[in-house]
Amino acid sequence: MRDEMERRWKAQDWQLIAPTPRAPAENLALDEVLTVRVGSGERKPTLRFWGWSRQAVILGRFQSARNEINADVAAEHDIDVVRRISGGGAMFVEPDGAITYSIYVPDDFVQGMSFADSYEMFDHWVIDALGELGVNAWYQPLNDITSDAGKIGGAAQARRGGAVLHHTTMAYQMTTSLLGQVLRVGEEKLSDKGIRSAERRVGPLRNQTALERDDIIYHLIGHFRSRFGLADDSLTDDELAEMQRLVESQFSTREWTYFLP
Amino acid sequence: MHGEFKVPKGKLVVVDLEIDGDALRDVRLTGDFFLYPEEALEPLTKALEGAPAGEEEATYEQLIAEAVPEGAELLGFSPQAIAVAVVRAQRV
Repeated sequence: MRDEMERRWKAQDWQLIAPTPRAPAENLALDEVLTVRVGSGERKPTLRFWGWSRQAVILGRFQSARNEINADVAAEHDIDVVRRISGGGAMFVEPDGAITYSIYVPDDFVQGMSFADSYEMFDHWVIDALGELGVNAWYQPLNDITSDAGKIGGAAQARRGGAVLHHTTMAYQMTTSLLGQVLRVGEEKLSDKGIRSAERRVGPLRNQTALERDDIIYHLIGHFRSRFGLADDSLTDDELAEMQRLVESQFSTREWTYFLP
Repeated sequence: MHGEFKVPKGKLVVVDLEIDGDALRDVRLTGDFFLYPEEALEPLTKALEGAPAGEEEATYEQLIAEAVPEGAELLGFSPQAIAVAVVRAQRV
């Protein structure tokens, strides 16, 4: 299976979109735009690293805004509240606090795999690349990357018209205590974790590597490039225009963000 | 009324609802689960709208299981997990 997966990774003509700081709603809209375009064949399989221009809470597709967010804390600290197209849990992101990437690939890439198995497959290269930096990380079902020093990150997927979107966010550093204030974590959610604290054990990559955020990102890019091949690419004017339309019609609207209030 | 169930090694399922006479109303199903395709949320929620109140878990589980669209996939939760949250939401 491992050989077959390596073959599938190498069989794609991967394109790289390097990180550029963008508003949270723009990042979410780009995931929709690029997934659909990879599905239709207009764009080749792509690895995109995100840049963050603002702090934000990103809700999962099926989460209740009220249940997950302290709205008064978000308003007081000028935190954007947005909703992504993939399921999973809410995350709080500060511009230099996280490393996020999206992978867009035609769905024959995951042919014959269960959804659960595909989560592991999409992040396997990152776990290897982190190992090269001395981080002992592993995949923890269903959608987490964890390590000796605590949880590093989580992944989520969406599927659109013949393509899979897999995006992963990893903690780089925690500079404020806003996370525990803006996100609500109920007792029930922690009921099978054996802990009662809202502050889950997290192992940010800065603590584990002592590297700058960009150095880690470019190490991940270098690992991917030498292993699977990766051509430098950029977003087209047409893609950026469509992103902007979707920001205005969907991702910055209350109707979308609060469709599950 | 509000009920939550965290699936062991899985995801959180949250159900909010009202009871109108002897029927469930204004049912809302949320959580940090994964559901493909995303549009399957609506039939799962609708299966509970107007369902009899005060029933056992198995009754709700069957209603939900029958409403799962062909080809839909629930990841990190199940009809049974939703049913647990529905029963918990009705606890006074």
